[in-house]
Amino acid sequence: MLHIYCPYCEEMREEEEFSYAGEAHIARPLDPESLTDAQWGDYVFFRTNPRGLHHEMWNHAAGCRRYFNVTRDTQTYVIHETYKMGEQPSVTGEKP
Amino acid sequence: MTSMQTPLHNITLPASVSDAGVVMREDKFRGHLNLRGNPQDAAFTDAVAQVLGVALPLAPNTSAEQGSTRIYWLCPNEWLLLVAEGTQGQVEADLRAALAHQHIAVTDLSSGQTLVNLSGAKLDELMMKSAVYDCHASNFPVGKVVQTTFAKAGATIYKCEDGSFDLVIRRSFSDYFFLWLKDASKEYGLSVI
Ligand SMILES: [Zn+2]
Repeated sequence: MLHIYCPYCEEMREEEEFSYAGEAHIARPLDPESLTDAQWGDYVFFRTNPRGLHHEMWNHAAGCRRYFNVTRDTQTYVIHETYKMGEQPSVTGEKP
Repeated sequence: MTSMQTPLHNITLPASVSDAGVVMREDKFRGHLNLRGNPQDAAFTDAVAQVLGVALPLAPNTSAEQGSTRIYWLCPNEWLLLVAEGTQGQVEADLRAALAHQHIAVTDLSSGQTLVNLSGAKLDELMMKSAVYDCHASNFPVGKVVQTTFAKAGATIYKCEDGSFDLVIRRSFSDYFFLWLKDASKEYGLSVI
């Protein structure tokens, strides 16, 4: 079981309280009408699915019911950070 | 006036035991109101404090109490107000009047959930079995409020001054909750008062 720090409740909570909500930081196209089917399909269906660092959304479903972001390693399951909606990750794997 | 039934009205009471380790008491018909608004807006927090006679708790997992009114922090812009039986309509009207033209929401949840108090010498053992959250006194001081699961069903757990726990549970889960409680406290003895 994962221990996840909820940035709103400001506590570590059990995984049982959370539900996974997919890849984070996917901006909805401002003008969907102008997109080709391929571009729209890419927005709706295609995800990066990396091996390693992944920025993803979780919902504190049984707690405060807020969505927030998690930087997690998909290979090791290590959670490097959690941060509120609207914030940017500090762990990106890019060399400074 | 129609007669009211609590969500737990049809439970089968356990045979009475002389030294029950777990004691359950339902705080029937309390008024439950959900309040949403912007905690950074003094016009909102001041007006609410004026109506309720106590300031909204703004820190995560905290509560406030004044007379028969208790307030639970639920998330940064959401609170649960527990008020005396039958007063929820008036409190809701007072809040709406005081918060007119503000971006807020007040929702009466009184018939959708109920408040159950759990106490007894074996309370810690029962909570260890039932909740994924660490309910030990070292992690759960008096006045703390935690939304988590109890036997996998959603519950809002509050630590009372006397060391007992108040649980807000859903009406639709109340039968399940009681069946779990009866089973989980079998080895300690359960008394319903
Ligand atoms: Zn939370």
